[in-house]
Amino acid sequence: MDHQLLHIFRNNPLGRETLLQSIYFCKKVGAFPVIYIPKTTKFLMYFDNDVVQVDLDKSYLDDGDTAQPHAAEILTQAGLEPRFLEPKHYTASTLPDIHTGFNYMCCPRSISDMSSKIGIGYIGPRVRRIVKSARFPVLIASPVFKPWNSIAVFFGGSVNAVKALRLGFHIARVSGLPLEIFTQIGKSSKEEYQRVVKDRNLEKDVDQYVTQWHYFENNNFENHLYEVPHDALVILGAYGHGVIKHMVVGSKWETIQETLGNNLLVVGPNFVAWR
Amino acid sequence: MRILRWWRYPGNWPIFRFDDRLLLILMAVIVGIFSGLSSVVLNRSLLIMSEWLHRYQHFWWFFALPAAGAALSSLFLEKVVREGAGHGVPEVIYSVSRYGGLLRLRSSVTRLVSSCLTIGSGGSAGPEAPVVISGAAIGSNIAKYFSLNDRQRVALVGCGAGGAIASIFNAPIAGMVFAVEVIVGEWKSVNIVPIAIASVAGAEICRLLQGNQIPFGHHVFKIDFLNIVASLGLAVLSAAATILQTRMLRSMHTISHKVPAPMWVRAAIGGCMVGIIGLYLPVVLGEGYHWTEILIEGRYGQILTIVALASFAKIAATALTLGWGGSGGIFAPCLVIGSLVGVTYHHLLVLFWPSISWVNEGYYALLGMAGLISGMLQAPLTGIFLIVEITGGWQVIVPLIIVSVVTTTICHYFEPASYYLKDLVDHGHLLRPGTDERILSDLNVTELLEQDCVTVHPSMLLRDFVDIIKHSHRNYFPVEDEKTGDFLGIVHLDDIRPYLFDPVMYDTVFLGQIMRTQVEVVHPDDDVLDVVRKMDVKGLYSIPVVVNHKYLGLISKATILDQYRKELMVQCHLL
Repeated sequence: MDHQLLHIFRNNPLGRETLLQSIYFCKKVGAFPVIYIPKTTKFLMYFDNDVVQVDLDKSYLDDGDTAQPHAAEILTQAGLEPRFLEPKHYTASTLPDIHTGFNYMCCPRSISDMSSKIGIGYIGPRVRRIVKSARFPVLIASPVFKPWNSIAVFFGGSVNAVKALRLGFHIARVSGLPLEIFTQIGKSSKEEYQRVVKDRNLEKDVDQYVTQWHYFENNNFENHLYEVPHDALVILGAYGHGVIKHMVVGSKWETIQETLGNNLLVVGPNFVAWR
Repeated sequence: MRILRWWRYPGNWPIFRFDDRLLLILMAVIVGIFSGLSSVVLNRSLLIMSEWLHRYQHFWWFFALPAAGAALSSLFLEKVVREGAGHGVPEVIYSVSRYGGLLRLRSSVTRLVSSCLTIGSGGSAGPEAPVVISGAAIGSNIAKYFSLNDRQRVALVGCGAGGAIASIFNAPIAGMVFAVEVIVGEWKSVNIVPIAIASVAGAEICRLLQGNQIPFGHHVFKIDFLNIVASLGLAVLSAAATILQTRMLRSMHTISHKVPAPMWVRAAIGGCMVGIIGLYLPVVLGEGYHWTEILIEGRYGQILTIVALASFAKIAATALTLGWGGSGGIFAPCLVIGSLVGVTYHHLLVLFWPSISWVNEGYYALLGMAGLISGMLQAPLTGIFLIVEITGGWQVIVPLIIVSVVTTTICHYFEPASYYLKDLVDHGHLLRPGTDERILSDLNVTELLEQDCVTVHPSMLLRDFVDIIKHSHRNYFPVEDEKTGDFLGIVHLDDIRPYLFDPVMYDTVFLGQIMRTQVEVVHPDDDVLDVVRKMDVKGLYSIPVVVNHKYLGLISKATILDQYRKELMVQCHLL
């Protein structure tokens, strides 16, 4: 259990749901949650080649005195030792730096907007920046606690998709849950997707962990998403194509996050894969 | 798409593969131009704003204008752009020290707007710190866009800062010296060359758009030996003014934070007090370049008491503006205070030794400016070159050097860290390249982890342990609980030495009986600097890394030294 998940605790019922989701995820993947209870509405995250200022919604500071006991209670009930993050460095007196050496981070769909905005189809600008810059995958939790019993990986053959697939295998390995792959056939044939897997020496893992590889052959991608199990953790890559391609052909990850209510584990372009 | 990808990674272009210094030079020109433009924009905005507000100067309610400006500036920073307020320059130095010069893009604009509101409405602050952070943020984000490495990014941050100072004062040498001496803190050609180029680019942009004029008129002074000796007295007075200014800024900051009111209200209170002072002594208002010129030309024409009072008033006004939440820098106020202190000193000389033919008061105003800048920044070269360039006064270089160096030395005695660096030094955030703290801060516990130690259990017999020792090359053996895997303690080879040569003990002693349970441990998130301090204090050579009661590995001084040397060589360009 040397992997750590960063969780920014919001001291209200919505925040409790997100924390329960983090705890569930940690137990499944053998990670340990590290809780940050914010004392200011903003903090900085310094990544390798970017600095992201996270402007939190004011509800994160609600009833500050009870935040730590509430979080500790939820963790203790789950059988985990509460561990809280105290910022060591400050860029300005009201601007703490939160270090980024974690293995996962859990975010709701938005952390800088009011909770009324949180819903399917919307991912806040700060969460997007974190996904783009982070070396770790970001768990975008469903608005209410939702256990998952299988893993669904979206694989489109890109470098980012390969990273997502590797992550999927890692989670399947440590959690012992079945894994399904979903591929929207584009210009490439089935064989070409399989060749990508073969070229990356992932054939063995496919044989070992994948229960089914779904290919969506016509272009109605959104309708095909009904085939994704409702209780699956969806793992996918994001921002792998660059700005121009994103604007011209759209993005699968946008369609997925607009359609699925599952927990999403999103791999950004800077994610460093581990096995 | 390929063209775009190619464009984003200039480090891969064949010409730059040949020599990556060329890449930095090209980027330095771009950064210098943009930082120059940002300073021209702020300069012009301040001019327009002060001209517009000038017509209201004779109204009784004029004192409320600095209050309104400071409040708007604070509201803009806090509510609109949600910028963590600060003076700007320390943030740049902090980022260079700790995060390879990473700065937020928003910083390239926010401080320009907020300082324009504060200074343009009459607040006593300078536009230099805002343009420095703006230029530095431009450099940082250009480096980020082109995916340059940390070292190149730091150089471009210096380029942005140098270009900004060069542009706002039309002084490329001062810009270069400021960036290297204050921001980067490393006199190496790898930094100096691009920063010099950016400073020239910044100054040229300023000349192109605003004309090639030195900010303050050039004056010829006939300096004799007596006037040079007299400059020593001015150095002492300048140091006193600097220390007063530094401490007043800090105390105002502390006092304002005790006022139970929102930030913008505090800024308004400070601005209001400045406005009231300004009703009686207009010299305290705004950035004060106009007043500095008058003082250098010897046209201020006030008696000793008024000049001395104006010096104190400007110090107080600057502390009230910046300490209570206004936005801006201390460069320009230092120039005004320095020139007032210089003129005060000249009046004192004339008062006490009227028979001696002292040089014009403008000469002492120049020296006072150099003294205040050098003392405040504790950067004597910046003070010397800035004053020489903005006044064209190369002939006063000798007394300038004397005043700058003596003032810096006295200030350093009373305030070991400059105004910019005080908080960084207090919090251990000033990590200059090649220093012990910087090298250790660039290492982390995880990369030093040694995982080749064999773990043992408390119920293990000494006989089994002896077998393990035969095949292990380590002296430390972490003890873990058999069921939970929790870390319980450690066994060192020395601990079993008394039993090792007595085979009778082999089947009677369990490791649980001889292991050390009171063991110092560290966490993977701990700073290596703290780990090393812990090892030094406790006299340890190795220390286990434990997280959530689970043993991860061991850190030893030998590995730290090994990595330390590698990091040192990287920072000193030996690798």
